[in-house]
Amino acid sequence: MNNNTSLKSSSREKDNILLRIYRNPYFRYIIFGAILALIPIASGMNILPSSYITIMGSVMIYSIVGIGLNLLLGYSGLISLGTAGFMGLAAYVTGYLSVNVNAPFIVALAVSIFVVVLIGVIVGFVSLRVAGIYLAIATLCVSEILRKTFEELEWLTNGFSGLNASFPRLFGIQLNRKSTYFLIVVVLILVMMLTHNLVKGQMGRALHAMRESEVAAQAMGVNLLKYRLVVFAIATAYAAIGGALYIFFIRFSIPGTWTMALSLNILGAVVIGGLRSIYGTVIGCFVIFAIPDIVLKPLFGDVNGLQYVFSGLVVILVILFYPAGVKNMREDFFRLCRFLKKKINERKGKGEIQ
Amino acid sequence: MPKNNSEKYTMDESLSLKITDLSINFGGLKAVDGLSIDVKKNEIFGLIGPNGAGKTTAFNCITQFYHPDRGEVLFRTKQGNVVNLVGRNTHDIIKLGLVRTFQNVEVIKELSLLENVLLGAHIDFKATIFEQALCLPRARREERELREKAAEGLRFMGIEALKDAKAGGQPYGVLKKVETARTLMCEPSLIILDEPAAGLNDSETAELTEIIRNIRDAYDCTILLVEHDMHLVMNVCERICAISFGEFLACGTPEEIQANALVQEAYLGEKEFKGGE
Repeated sequence: MNNNTSLKSSSREKDNILLRIYRNPYFRYIIFGAILALIPIASGMNILPSSYITIMGSVMIYSIVGIGLNLLLGYSGLISLGTAGFMGLAAYVTGYLSVNVNAPFIVALAVSIFVVVLIGVIVGFVSLRVAGIYLAIATLCVSEILRKTFEELEWLTNGFSGLNASFPRLFGIQLNRKSTYFLIVVVLILVMMLTHNLVKGQMGRALHAMRESEVAAQAMGVNLLKYRLVVFAIATAYAAIGGALYIFFIRFSIPGTWTMALSLNILGAVVIGGLRSIYGTVIGCFVIFAIPDIVLKPLFGDVNGLQYVFSGLVVILVILFYPAGVKNMREDFFRLCRFLKKKINERKGKGEIQ
Repeated sequence: MPKNNSEKYTMDESLSLKITDLSINFGGLKAVDGLSIDVKKNEIFGLIGPNGAGKTTAFNCITQFYHPDRGEVLFRTKQGNVVNLVGRNTHDIIKLGLVRTFQNVEVIKELSLLENVLLGAHIDFKATIFEQALCLPRARREERELREKAAEGLRFMGIEALKDAKAGGQPYGVLKKVETARTLMCEPSLIILDEPAAGLNDSETAELTEIIRNIRDAYDCTILLVEHDMHLVMNVCERICAISFGEFLACGTPEEIQANALVQEAYLGEKEFKGGE
């Protein structure tokens, strides 16, 4: 009996090799990346305005940061309000290294990740011993200290005048806006895949256990402090990658960019996208960072602060009426389809009887 | 917390666990007071007592969820050396070969049954986080092998067919089995079961009796359990210790415990009850 079923299933799998490829999560991530890569091509063919490249590039950068924050919030239940500070620090370090020291892209990126994660781990080590809100408070303080430092530390950041940078050089090739966009797509897809692997493996299970039952996690040998630290380090590393890509893509950074508003916007994107959802975070970032520019600006003009009103409203609406976030939309859509189909069939059935 | 790792401890060859003078207070309430128990190797040992007697507290003191105020918990690890558990980190206990279940099943609802069991193999994963993120060969091989082992655990409990179902929404009896299967992943030398029969119906309890014996025989380990279901305790346990209000009452075979006057008094009340007989 057992043998029989396994034979059956293996032959079924062979038949549907296409279906299996389609179901492969890595394949889906690559398709997702290919769709994102269409935008500069479409704008090259004058289908989309070229400003969409910058907008979507930023959305992807914030998505990388958001995925890190989602890992932290969704799995360990901890909130970091220092995202913007860590991003900004990475942006300035990368910018300084590539402009003043003339370091290659990879070196600048690696150094900035190292510096930011180091600071993050120190902050985490102090505040994560006590669970709860302390990480949020500590990271908020660090973020504000960093922002003030950006204003004052002129040799690194050029103060209020802002730091100018250029598109990166990769393997001796000078990239332009479009090729940098493609670089961001590649990095985003890699980050999504790495996160996917982490979440599906031993670490993911440990994080799930920590979230749902700390006692079970401890009894099974999960070191709570270690995993809180690791997941926080990953979140800061992603923030650092985002910050480094920001300075290479936007090529300009002022201290005013790295305020708490940015941290909260990314947090909002995570909430809209749905906790523990990788795709959801990207969609959430699209809603928060792209809709205001793509939809609201053409409709209402350049109203000051409209973006914040919009993101605040969306976050409130999502929490009130759709607390699981965008990630549930696909399932709910299919459920709605099934429901409608059933209703239509019932109608038909009734009609035949009559 | 004092770390006693450097000290050498000895206990009788035949023992698996030796508790001496274990005590813990919660703000003046003596939850466990001077408790001493010897558990032999490969024994099924029961800890009983009326509600609030401190049974679960005693378990929590053994597994270091609570750190006792006084006393020693000597344990023979699966490597064979004797250690004092008191003062160790909660998450290090499983590495020594001591694993437990919980009174209210603690399974992870969002994970499948198989993944829940895999959580029990957490300490067996040697691949680093980088290897896991990049899905390097070692991480892939470990995941594959331990998944196979977890499926075996579920097969042992007779619920392999449900392995891919989410734990959320599964009946209580199934979750209890998942939790038990999880303890088997680390190849323990001592399993602590906290009320394994709570919430089970009669036929499930009868099945549990078999399961507990099978685990002891198949995995060659010692089992220590707290239970309210006297039928189960008297059936499955080889020796029983009774406690009341945190204090030791009696220890012996099921027959001896049933005949013990102190135990009867603790369960059935004052002497006038007996006088009325």
